[in-house]
Amino acid sequence: MTDCGCDKAKAELEEFLHRELSDDDFRDVSEHLESCVDCETEATVGLTLMQKVRSACQEKAPEELREAILARLSAHA
Amino acid sequence: MNREDEETVDLDGDRELDSHDDASGQDAAVDAERDDDADLAGADEDLNGRLRSALPPEELRRLFEEQALPYMDQLYAAALRMTRNAADAGDLVQETFVKAFSAFAQFRQGTNLKAWLYRILTNTFINSYRKSQRQPYQNAIDELEDWQLGSAESLTQGRTTRSAEAEAIDHLPDSDVKEALQSIPEDFRMAVYLADVEGFAYQEIADIMKTPVGTVMSRLHRGRRLLRERLADYARDRGYVVADTPRRGR
Repeated sequence: MTDCGCDKAKAELEEFLHRELSDDDFRDVSEHLESCVDCETEATVGLTLMQKVRSACQEKAPEELREAILARLSAHA
Repeated sequence: MNREDEETVDLDGDRELDSHDDASGQDAAVDAERDDDADLAGADEDLNGRLRSALPPEELRRLFEEQALPYMDQLYAAALRMTRNAADAGDLVQETFVKAFSAFAQFRQGTNLKAWLYRILTNTFINSYRKSQRQPYQNAIDELEDWQLGSAESLTQGRTTRSAEAEAIDHLPDSDVKEALQSIPEDFRMAVYLADVEGFAYQEIADIMKTPVGTVMSRLHRGRRLLRERLADYARDRGYVVADTPRRGR
């Protein structure tokens, strides 16, 4: 599997998903994903995980917290 | 502890953090205590020639409200992941903003305010909320081999089941995702949070967590793998067809 790009894609998938690869490596992995259904599926799971975590963690601070902070800033000044 | 001072002053710069070892709990705690002083020390090196300490207090307050307070929701969500309860999260965010405000005059315009706030949040959490005895445990976690943590590596799984896995993850309720996040070790959880929710670059996470980039990568990879494993469990419990993920220690 070494020559088909799977090894590199699997090794660098996390860095690919997190946009931490150099332009050349990013292009290599992108091209491989286009031609390899297996790795592309793996990338989809990784991306889904990322998006799911992001959308699940969008809590709003309670309004009282804002008031409490403003009050403490005033006391501090 | 000059090294720690330099590191803090250079928070907004491009200093390589890889050169020093994983911050121990003690170092981190000392560092957090010294943040304000260290920031003051950097005040005369303002990069843009715009020293906020020269501003009248009411203008500084206005700037702070305009630039820093919009991060309240994000910091609160991060604090919830750290403390795992709403009361402590609220207190932690309050402390963070009070500290940030007192150091804000020395914060350099044009540098990364969000990363700076996250660093104060993290320092404050380590200092005030994290129990001193849990650091050895955390270091032990970092040293575990992959096989000891279990692995969702799915080389042997068929493509069909992994398509199903993505779909199952996508359909899980937010509460499952948050519960799964709570269940993984704290340093892994924060690496995943800072990367996936906040979109910080590895180097920024390294600065926030005071750890080398290599450690950030390891925590992120392992955290995401654990998370994926837990979510597969939830998905199975909810009746989705997901292939078995290899269990811890197998």
